[in-house]
Amino acid sequence: MAAELVAAVGGMTVEQINASQMGMKALGAGIAVGLTGIGTGIAEMGIGSAAVGAVAENKDMFGLALLFTVIPETIVIFGLVVGLLVLFL
Amino acid sequence: MLAPKRMSRLLIAASRDQMAPVVAELYRHNLFHIEEFVEAGAEGYEGFKIGTPLSGASEASVDLVKIRAIENSASIQGDDIDSAKTCTRVELQSRIERELPVLEKEVEDLTIRRSKLETRVKENEQKIAEITPFLTVPVDLDLYRGYSGFGVFAGYVAHEVTLSVPCEMSYSPGKEKNFIVIVAPVGQRNEVERALQDAAFQSVQIPEESGAPQVRIDYYSADISAMKSEIAEIHQKLDDVRMKHSGFLVACEEYLRAEVEQTEAPLRFATTKQTFVAEGWVPTENVDAVTDALVKVTNGKIYVTVLPIDFEHDNVPVEYNNPSFSKPTQVLIDVFNRPRYTEIDPTLMVSIVFPIFFGLILGDVGYGLILLVMAFGLRKFFKGDEGRHLLDVLRNASISTIIFGLLYSEFLGFPIPGLKPIMFSRHLMAEAAEEGGAVAGHGPMIPELMVLSIWIGILHISLGRILGMINHARQDHGEHRTKAVMANFGWLAVMWGILIAIWSIAALPLMPNLTGLPKIISVVNVGGIIGAVLIVAGIVFIARDSLLEVVEIPTIISHVLSYARIVAVGLSSVAIAMVVNFIAIGMFIEPQLKNFTIFSIFIIIAGLVIFLLGHALNTALGILGGGLHSIRLHYVEFFTKFYKGGGVKYIPFGMKRRFTED
Repeated sequence: MAAELVAAVGGMTVEQINASQMGMKALGAGIAVGLTGIGTGIAEMGIGSAAVGAVAENKDMFGLALLFTVIPETIVIFGLVVGLLVLFL
Repeated sequence: MLAPKRMSRLLIAASRDQMAPVVAELYRHNLFHIEEFVEAGAEGYEGFKIGTPLSGASEASVDLVKIRAIENSASIQGDDIDSAKTCTRVELQSRIERELPVLEKEVEDLTIRRSKLETRVKENEQKIAEITPFLTVPVDLDLYRGYSGFGVFAGYVAHEVTLSVPCEMSYSPGKEKNFIVIVAPVGQRNEVERALQDAAFQSVQIPEESGAPQVRIDYYSADISAMKSEIAEIHQKLDDVRMKHSGFLVACEEYLRAEVEQTEAPLRFATTKQTFVAEGWVPTENVDAVTDALVKVTNGKIYVTVLPIDFEHDNVPVEYNNPSFSKPTQVLIDVFNRPRYTEIDPTLMVSIVFPIFFGLILGDVGYGLILLVMAFGLRKFFKGDEGRHLLDVLRNASISTIIFGLLYSEFLGFPIPGLKPIMFSRHLMAEAAEEGGAVAGHGPMIPELMVLSIWIGILHISLGRILGMINHARQDHGEHRTKAVMANFGWLAVMWGILIAIWSIAALPLMPNLTGLPKIISVVNVGGIIGAVLIVAGIVFIARDSLLEVVEIPTIISHVLSYARIVAVGLSSVAIAMVVNFIAIGMFIEPQLKNFTIFSIFIIIAGLVIFLLGHALNTALGILGGGLHSIRLHYVEFFTKFYKGGGVKYIPFGMKRRFTED
């Protein structure tokens, strides 16, 4: 009751506050995934082009090249994990 | 299993006149991996020389080149043809002598004729391109030439030109460029050129033609279409050749390849004037069979012995030794690197764990069924071994996807009615499940799923470290051996130390709770102390092997957390499936079914198209996500703990005959 009153004073109902909190969470999750995605992209840019060059020279390099290329992928996975935790915890 | 096939180093010595039967016998067995003889600096081989090819080598290779040329022009590939042993050796030999020259002539004539026609088509197209600008000028082409008192200017200008000198001008504005033709007295040439230069004039060559431009273009176009139909006819004929002779040609190629390889084998042996010596590798289980066969074929005039293996210097060729269930996975290991002879072969483990990871990530009955159908349906198009193996890997992965789909209770993103998720739920909308009623409402159990994936990571990495200890114990010597084994133990200790320390501080779902242990100093309890001791001891062990490695300690956390992708990527595919379902059914189909009009039919069809496209996209993403991420977890997180690879592939001297008989 008291919370409702305070909220009503602030010009918002409890539902509104809850909804905006959810919205903020969603925004946070989106930013976490988006920024880490960009980070991964930038990191993989250089590695990827070098890896393709190496594979073009020597096909046996493929495994190693793939390995190097996907190393920064962990960054976006961290982002995804953080996003999920923010949304559902 | 877990180790490559055992190999024995075989030395074969005999007099030179036994070379041909020995080579043929070795080739037939398809077991002997020849260790190539290098003249310079071969120890114990002073005075030996590289051998010379057997008789018939050059004829066979000439024929082989011819056959390959024919196959090339008729685009025949052995891999695309089902194997059928149709011809015997004698039959083939006589057919090669009889039919090959005729066939070669036929195909050569056709290809020469084709390339001539193609050149002429190009020439004509060029001519058409030259004439086309003049289409807008209503003057015959021969009127552009042959003046002594006049100069003709033709080309493109940026804008219209006005000339103060007397001249004939035709200006035709175009979309991108404007075409202009000017005929002016020779005396005024300079002025005309200056005016044209101001208008950014680009000269066009006047074609050496006569008659109206349109007529000439029609003439050349007709010529081109005639030649094109002739080319199509040639293609038809080459197709006929392929239909009629492909079986014969691939059989010939195989036969001749075998001939060439056998006759050229002495180039890899060490020889003297009278004798030859061949060294190579044979799987230990086959040594007796090969030796007996060689003795028999030479009537005992041969010396065969097994040499001891020197692991320091010998490059033992590696052949996988796996149960048939794991064989397809060898493709994935070869992509990374073939194991070395002394190393643990991880194929079996990957063949079990890879499908499980794939299933955990994709985990959907619907997608699993689609992939299963694909794995069987695409077999028609993949006739090579490698492609087939990849499809087998996909088959195993899709079966695991179906099983995990049942455990998660998912079908194309929908909950399966009447089936509660046996494993932790991944349904993103708890409400939706409640409304359906059949499945008790449970939102995604993110913390549980996350901890589960962390557990998988911990166990997988621990297994990797233990294998690393075994590998180092096997491969290294002396002091370094102990240090390397202890360093691996140190990595394990740090990881488990961190875990125990965390457990003693916080209670986590699905993990042991050590917070209740007796406290020692303020918040630190017995668990915390044990954890700290393990961490410190581990760091010491790691540092003793290599101080630089200490910098890498944070990777323990990042590698374990990296397994969270199993949940993260999986949830993203569930989310995409649900979004597709919501757009297609919730937004397009359902509202229309409630208020049905004639117009609704189109919207419902659009909804169905969205449904199909969306799920097709998600299937493709599922293969990429599920496959790439599972294999990456193996390559990056698992293999780096113990596996180096770099073994030499075992390539036995001989061939698997597909089209010919021995």
